[in-house]
Order: sequence, then C-alpha cells, then structure tokens
Amino acid sequence: MVRVVTDSCSDITSKMAEQFGLTVIPLNVHFGDKVYRDNIDLNTEGFYQKLTRSKITPTTSIPSLAVFTDTLNNLAKETRDILVITLSRKFSAVYDIASKSKEAFKSKCNIEVIDSQVGIGGQLILAVSAALMARAEATLEEIANWVTSAIPRTHVLMTFDTLEYLRRGGRIGKAQAFLGTLLKVNPILGIKEGEAFPITRVRSRALAVDFLVNFVENFKKIDALVIEDAITTNELGKLAQRLEGLAPDGHFYRSKVSPVVGAHVGPHVLSVSVLEGE
Amino acid sequence: MQTGSVTGQQLKEMFNAGTAWLEKCVPEINAINVFPIPDGDTGTNMLLTMHSAMEEAHRSQDGNASSVAQIIAHGALMGARGNSGVILSQFWKGFAKGLDDNQRLNSKALARALSEASQAAYEGLVNPVEGTMLTVLRDSANAAEAAAKANSRNLTKTLATAMQAARESVANTPNLLPVLREAGVVDAGGQGLYVLLEGALYYLRGENDTLKHGKPRLIPTSQPLTPGISQMPAEVEVPYGYCMNFLIEGQDLNLKKIRKNLKKKGQSLVITGNGSKLRVHIHSFKPGEVIDYATKQGVLHKIKIDNMDDEYAAFIKMQRKNLPAVDTAVVAIASGEGLFKLFRSLGTTIIVPGGQTMNPSVRELVEAVNSAPSDKVILLPNNKNIVVAASQVQSLTSKDVKVVPTRTIPQGIGALLSFNYAMSLEDNVSAMEEAMNRVKSIEITKSVRKSQINGMNIKKGEFIAVLDDKEVVANGKKVKDVITTALEKADGKNAELVSIYYGAETKPAEARKIADEIQNEFSVEVEMVQGDQPHYNYVISLE
Repeated sequence: MVRVVTDSCSDITSKMAEQFGLTVIPLNVHFGDKVYRDNIDLNTEGFYQKLTRSKITPTTSIPSLAVFTDTLNNLAKETRDILVITLSRKFSAVYDIASKSKEAFKSKCNIEVIDSQVGIGGQLILAVSAALMARAEATLEEIANWVTSAIPRTHVLMTFDTLEYLRRGGRIGKAQAFLGTLLKVNPILGIKEGEAFPITRVRSRALAVDFLVNFVENFKKIDALVIEDAITTNELGKLAQRLEGLAPDGHFYRSKVSPVVGAHVGPHVLSVSVLEGE
Repeated sequence: MQTGSVTGQQLKEMFNAGTAWLEKCVPEINAINVFPIPDGDTGTNMLLTMHSAMEEAHRSQDGNASSVAQIIAHGALMGARGNSGVILSQFWKGFAKGLDDNQRLNSKALARALSEASQAAYEGLVNPVEGTMLTVLRDSANAAEAAAKANSRNLTKTLATAMQAARESVANTPNLLPVLREAGVVDAGGQGLYVLLEGALYYLRGENDTLKHGKPRLIPTSQPLTPGISQMPAEVEVPYGYCMNFLIEGQDLNLKKIRKNLKKKGQSLVITGNGSKLRVHIHSFKPGEVIDYATKQGVLHKIKIDNMDDEYAAFIKMQRKNLPAVDTAVVAIASGEGLFKLFRSLGTTIIVPGGQTMNPSVRELVEAVNSAPSDKVILLPNNKNIVVAASQVQSLTSKDVKVVPTRTIPQGIGALLSFNYAMSLEDNVSAMEEAMNRVKSIEITKSVRKSQINGMNIKKGEFIAVLDDKEVVANGKKVKDVITTALEKADGKNAELVSIYYGAETKPAEARKIADEIQNEFSVEVEMVQGDQPHYNYVISLE
C-alpha cells in the first residue's frame, strides 16, 4: 500500500493522521533557544499562551534532513511506495528538504514529492484524499496524478484582524497590497499560485465571516471542505453551523492552524478550504 | 544550540556562510535599491565586497579572531564596490578595531565590534542619512550591547538579538526615509546587512540544512506597495548620470583635501581608506573630470563606471514585476492630504485632486486615465458634480473605462474597499456599486448665505448637515448638535460603524471629543480619520 506523508502545516491532527493512516512530519517553532516540534511538543492553545507571555518573537524552521530520512526509513520497512505532499514552496523549503531525502532513497523506495502550492486546509484536503485513495489500493502513480490535477481545484481563503504576523514572517506575498491601509479593516486573502494573494477588505469581522460563507456557498459542487481557527472556537462552531450540509458526509473537516502556521497568521485567523467538485 | 565563543577560523566560517546566504537573494536586494540612487546593484556590490573579503581570509590559517577580522577588513577595503560596499568595508574596519586583541569572539567582543563597526560606518560618509544601512547597523549594535550585558557568556544569543534588532530596523526604514516610503520598499543595504548577520547566526546555530536548502526572505515594508503619483512612468525619466568606483594608491594621500575636491564634482560621495590607499564612490555627470582629478592624486585601480539611467530603467521594470498582478487601475477624485493618503492606502492608482467647488476638467480625468498603468480603469468621481464629467471619459480614450458613480467620499471609500483582486472589471463594478449604496454619508459645512430649506431657517455662517448629498437635515451654531441631529435622521443607532473624516479647518482634539461622544450616545463603533478636506468640516459615513 502507498503511504502518504505530509508536513505539519497541513494542520492534520494526530487523531486524523491515525484515522487516515497518514504520516505527519513536524516543522519547528523556536522561542529563542527553545525548539518545539509543531503540534507534538506544543499545540495551538499552548503556543498562543506562550506567545502572549513571551517577550521573544517566535520563529519557525523546517524539519532537518535527518528527521525526513528517519521517517522515510521507518516507512520503507512497510512499503516501497511513498507520496510526500508538502506546504507551498513559496512559503517554506520543506519541499526542497523532501526532494533531497528522496535522492537518498532512490534504491530502496519509489518516492514522489508534490508541492501542494497551498497550505493549511487545502493541504489537509489533498493529503487526506490521497490517503483515502491509498486505502482503496490506488497506485503511487494514480494518486500522484490525481493530487496534481486536484491542486487547481483546491481553494483556501483566510481572514485576520491584522496582517502584522504575515508581514513580520515575510509570507505576505502579493497581499502586501493590503499593508498600510489607513482604516480598520478585516483583510481577506487567498492562496494563489503558491503564495498569499489579496482578495478584498471588509469593515467588520461579521462581514468577513459572511464573505467566507458566501465564498463556499457559491461553488456548484464541493468534494471536501475544511474550516479552521486558532483560538476562536465558538466562532468556528457558528461557522460550522452555517456551512452544514455543503460538503458530502464525512468530507467536512474541522481543525486548528498549527503553531508553526499560527506564528505567521496570528490568533484571530479564520479560514475555509474547498476542494471544488469536477 | 548555544555557543560561548568562537575562534578566528570559526569567525571566518560564520561570515562565509553569511556571504553564501546573501548570494541567494542578490537579485531581490538589487530590485529594491532606491536610495541614494536606484542603481539596482546594492546586492551585487555587497556580495562582491564580501567575496573579496572572504577570499583574503581564506588565504590565512590564523586562529586569532582579531587577526582574522583584520584580514577580512583589508579584503573588504580592497574589493569594496558601490555605496553599500564601501559602508560594508567600513563596517569591517570598525569590527576589527572593536575586537582589539581578542583571541576569540565572544558575546562582549561581538557587542564591542558591532558598536565600533557602526561608528566607523557613520564616519565614512560625508552626509550620513537615517533610514539606511547605517541606522540598521546602529540599532543592531545597540541591541547587541544590551544583550551582551545580560548574556555575557552566550554569543549565539547576542548575535540573535542583534539580528532581530536589524530585522525590525530594516522594516522601519521606510518610516525614516521618504524615498523608500514612496517606492514601497525597505532599504536595500540594510536588508543586505541583515541577511549577512542571519547567515552567520545560522552557521553558529548549526542550522546547515537551512543554509543549504533555505532561502533568505526579504523583510517586507510596513508601507503599502501601491504606486503613488510620483512613480508614474512620465516622471521617471530623470537623468542620473554615472556611478563610479575606484581605488587610488599613492603616497601621503590627503583624504580631507581629496574629499573636499571630489565633493564639488558629484553626489553620493563615499571615500574611505588611509594615506596610501583610498576607496572612492561617486555619482557624476562628468566621469572624465573625476578620473582626471583622481589620476593626479595617485595610481587608479579597479575602476568601474556604470550608466545609472540604464540601471534605473531596469529597476522600474523590476518594480512593476513586484507589484500585485492587478490588471484594473482605480482613478479617484479627492482633495485633502489625509484623503490622498487614505485613498492611496486603499489601492488607488491615481488620485486627481478635486471635489466640491473644485471640479477637475474632463481633460484632466482623461489624462489621469491614460497615464494609469493598465488598460482597464475604474473611475470614482466621489462628488455628484463630477459624475457627469467622468462619464465623458470613456469616449475620449482607447482604454476600457467604467465609472462607479460615487457621489460622496464615503461612497468612494466603500466602493474602493469592496474592490476584489480576484474578479473581472465588470464584476468589480457591480460589487462596488452595491457597496457604494450600502453607505450613508453626512457632510457638515458652513452655510454661505441666509436661506430657507426644508422648513429650516438657516443663518449665514451656521453649520448645516447634508445627508447623502441630497437634503439638508440639520442646522445650528454648535457643530456637535448638528452632527447628532443628522445622525438621528440617518438612523445612526442601527449603524455598525461610524467613520468621521475631519477636515483641514477642524482641530483633531475637537474631532476626538465628538467621536467619543457619538460612541457613547449611539453605542456604535466610531473610527476617526484625518481627512484634511477643504470645505467640509466633517464628512461622516454610516455602515
């Protein structure tokens, strides 16, 4: 059976990983000299508690080559076919590390590395869908082809109360058009061609949530849907209610942005990701 | 990982890593280079300077940190190119001086070295300017000093603190230097210095994977990247002349005299070195005169002359590439410094000054549309007397022009906010018209004559409130009372957000007070914005 590997920026929880037979490789969060593995040594709640208490601005880093090769080594005991789906290359060098480790395994295994060109919920959908195909005995080539073809149908939308985190982390991409707005606004961004892209600005959080709901409702057919928050669980609950029934049974996922993602988006992120039906 | 101190060879490896790290983002750094002149080669110059410095260092197996720093400083001086390269060579001169006789580089020595480096960099320039590499270096040195006091045994920590301070300082450069702000970029030299320190830190931390597979990220500006009017293509063809770099070798070179004489021959002069060797960087329209003078002082080496006009054209091209891929431009009409800034921050491509009692001509609108860097243009008249003129524009240009007939400033802002980067021109126009109609506008001005409207007796000089640019809904002597009445008539209690744009003649303190009172009386969120508009004391929007 093909094994599917992704990184922790897919926001796949350990429960989901177990459920779908996925392997998640953690990125790292650094508070000064202290290093925490994403969603392993530190969860989202713990991260934001630390963030408010700490004077140090946290930074993030990619997993080392050794972490990657160790993980692949373990999987190689069970399978000869591995698919790695990574966070967009324009956000991080995880893809480069994964490709590097692929070279080291040439003789042992068939490894395919795919740049998801998205992150968070979009990456979650791709990884989970790939894992489901693997369960259904699809070949590595079939799954890899499907993922590549599904990327253009994978849409991610996010809203924040500030772009400061994205700006500081250098992941703002084309959305820097929204920086320096002299009014209090709630920006709405998407991920397009692998990087943050400006969509629009609204004047209140309520309007921002409406915009996300509208965005999802406008799809003719939805194959999978992910909604995420960081620390606004109640708000996410309300959003879930409004979107109920829009995705097929069992394909509506709820998650939280991981600490590594959280360091770049801030505590008031709210996002929807859609796999558009064909 | 934490390290207490390193040897000279490790110091060399740290900056070797820093140089390799810098190399990875040279094109990006070149692309944001606008000060003092957009030569577009800051990254290249810094890299070549560091290459020369490291080549020199590689020839030495000296284990002593201070000797290695001196060797690097010598190599940097010999290889310095451009403003930034010369400043970088000054950095190393100071760094070496700060290390004094230290065998090893530790936390305290690093702080001292950075502090000396900062001082040397300032001294190397005839007119030091803030918001550049100099500021970044000084902020970084100050942070290192504080960190070294707190962590005298942790070199890693001190370097990390210095790097973080450099990062924040780089992000702040557009706030200090207007030319950066206008171009929507951070200082290129500061960025280069930050990347160099970052690479050194990664080496020290043993993050070899990052160094090998990662890529430095440019620190984005905290300012909007929207092109302002000052960046319009018609205005960029200013000749910049030639950028010259050379080394003078001779005996008893008189630095002061040479500096004084060269200053008369050009701009952006940087001159460093000693009695036997001087490094010169200068911008001049007459390179012949500069070379002629210099050859009389000594023997010239490593002469490099570039035409900056060519470089500037390439820079403009790169800037365009870095702008968001928006194929629709927005032209808006507004008046008042505050509203200019506001419209620009919301993504307006071109602002035509105008408004109540100063309507721009159709010709002015056509010119603005034609100079917009896009074939699709949305026009926001923002005043009912300009709507008609705006609708004439389409027949006078080959561009695809759509007018969203905004009659007030709040309508214009509402429309502009709803602009969606992912939608077509037509879809945007309908979304903007919808947004425009969701906003209610109140304009407060002084009556110019005695009159009777809507059964109200209005005296000359009284305040009047106009709702949605249609009817006068309140009048009176006290502006606060007029605003309150108007808000009641406009159903202010059911609004979610009230924005108050106060005019050129209005004192901010008065506006603040009124904003607070409205917030309490109507229990609504109130945002106060400096509009500086003439004619209207206040423009208020309800959403």
